[in-house]
Amino acid sequence: MSSKSVPEKPARRISEGSVLEKVAKGEKMVDAGKSPKVVAKAEKKVSAEVLCGIQPKMGKAEVGARLKLLYRRYNRGASSLDAKMRAESETMLDAIVEVREKFFGEI
Amino acid sequence: MAQHVGIDLGTTLSGLAYLKGDGTPEIVPNSDGERLTPSVVYFDAHEDVKLVGSAARDGGDPERTIFQIKRYMDDPDHVLEIDGKKWTPAEISALILSKLKRDCEKIIGEIRDVVITVPANFNELARKSTIAAAEMAGMKVKRLVNEPTAAAVYYAQTQNVQGRVLVFDMGGGTLDVTILEVKGGSIRILTSEGARHLGGGNLDDLLVTAFEEQYRAQTGQGLYTDERHRRRILQSAEDAKKMLSKLQRVNDTVANDQNSGLARIDLTREGFEGLIRKMLTRTVLLVEQALDSAGLKVSEVDHVVLVGGSTRIPKVKKVLEKFFGKTPKSCGNVDECVALGAALFAKSSAKIQEVCNASYGTLAMIYNAATGEEKVANSVVIPKNTVIPCSRSQVYQTSEDNEKVIEVDITQGEDEDPRFVDVIGRLTLEVPPNRPKGCEVEVTFSYDENQRVQARVLDKASGRVKEVAVTYRGAGVLSEEELQRRSQHLRAMRIE
Ligand SMILES: Nc1ncnc2c1ncn2[C@@H]1O[C@H](COP(=O)(O)OP(=O)(O)OP(=O)(O)O)[C@@H](O)[C@H]1O
Ligand SMILES: [Mg+2]
Repeated sequence: MSSKSVPEKPARRISEGSVLEKVAKGEKMVDAGKSPKVVAKAEKKVSAEVLCGIQPKMGKAEVGARLKLLYRRYNRGASSLDAKMRAESETMLDAIVEVREKFFGEI
Repeated sequence: MAQHVGIDLGTTLSGLAYLKGDGTPEIVPNSDGERLTPSVVYFDAHEDVKLVGSAARDGGDPERTIFQIKRYMDDPDHVLEIDGKKWTPAEISALILSKLKRDCEKIIGEIRDVVITVPANFNELARKSTIAAAEMAGMKVKRLVNEPTAAAVYYAQTQNVQGRVLVFDMGGGTLDVTILEVKGGSIRILTSEGARHLGGGNLDDLLVTAFEEQYRAQTGQGLYTDERHRRRILQSAEDAKKMLSKLQRVNDTVANDQNSGLARIDLTREGFEGLIRKMLTRTVLLVEQALDSAGLKVSEVDHVVLVGGSTRIPKVKKVLEKFFGKTPKSCGNVDECVALGAALFAKSSAKIQEVCNASYGTLAMIYNAATGEEKVANSVVIPKNTVIPCSRSQVYQTSEDNEKVIEVDITQGEDEDPRFVDVIGRLTLEVPPNRPKGCEVEVTFSYDENQRVQARVLDKASGRVKEVAVTYRGAGVLSEEELQRRSQHLRAMRIE
């Protein structure tokens, strides 16, 4: 990345300073296909697979890749500065382990 | 004055080492005659004294005893109140460091500049708190170094290995996995990954639950009602865990604090392994993440090195052996090698090439030309594992006409999704009025060898620049004044 690397696609722009607010409100932040619908649902006994966004048609490789992404994300989340994120991450890490054991066997 | 001092400020045990005249590192014992000092602080109710170490661990009232404070170093909201005075994790750690400094100075002379080790995944706040703790204890942190890096330095120097080494450090509170390459006399860190809550302490918690279940099954009653008794059970659980590293079966007899009678606790190694299986799966996930970050296949790791007390658990070794298809080697001195490595590091840091511990970037509106969709995303400028020192820039465009200020949020974390990164600062730059949107703004991050980050925003049209040191200034961080005040207070304190 050189200093003149004006963005490849997609273009990046700095918005007018309201970015923080937008994030806090979570506007349109849930990327349905990619992100699990946050853990609030965990209390309603949603299965680990649903939490991890694993769909029945997914192959093993796809599940593996998905778990990798989620593990990286929530392992970091477990030491976030935000207490809510830390708690959410613990739930997700448990779910990730469960899915891994189901698809790839016990260690 | 003692040169080249390294300190391992551990979750359960802390140690201090220095380099002898012949260049070999040595552990300096404390005044209680121990090579390592339990990271436990006891606040006495009658005398104005803070006990640190074994006396604190084995002694009195659990309500006045602080264990495993390191687990909270990254928690801005964690404050303890004892006798009406509030203590932050940094201050408690300062008491432990004070004890080490005062005791060891009697043997090796004055200690000022030190290298302190921290888990690889310690966040900005935890690192800052560690530095503050050392300052309060009257020491200057020359460098913070990641624990597995220190262990690897010790291992590489004493075992004379070459090639790619994966260090698996499972201690009392954290797991760190680091991959590095040793070539001749130099060491290149490829990646460091860490996990919170994956240490021996977490295994003890699981065992306490097993104790509770067996007790309830036999007596129909709960095992403890107060913290003092839970502590005792926790200690029994830890003892049982250690025995199970050597024996297939252990028994213990326990009572609760309500006179409900005795129960015989029966534990097998197999049962224990079942209990900790999910935890161990998490450790494998972390190893996989480290390999992924370093772009390596399992077969490309030449040596697997074990560090930390929890790697004495046979199942931990077995899981790694199965994963790598080769026998992991012990670092020799699993409890002391981090401190010993830190002392070596204090002298030879120039031969050790390190990488960024985290990704840094900004929040930006990302426009997807294909879908026409716009969303806020984390745009990484310096990716994790970039060799340090380094400097990287990224050019953005303003999105509105007539912008008067440009605000750049500084993020730590690699995820594209802003919910999964920490916003640790903000840069504000005033720009001339009446400009159309689309003006170019260059954001530069530089990262020095002390893992300190500098951010710079340049408005290309006006040439205006704003630069800041990126430091976490949120809750939990002491102001400079407060730090000075507390340091003075601490120096006058009786710590034994
Ligand atoms: N024989 C053993 N079997 C199992 N666990 C053990 C054994 N000996 C020590 N441990 C565990 O090792 C842990 C302490 O390890 P270590 O001293 O490496 O940790 P630490 O440096 O204090 O912690 P950290 O590095 O996480 O900050 C404790 O949880 C202890 O119970
Ligand atoms: Mg340790």
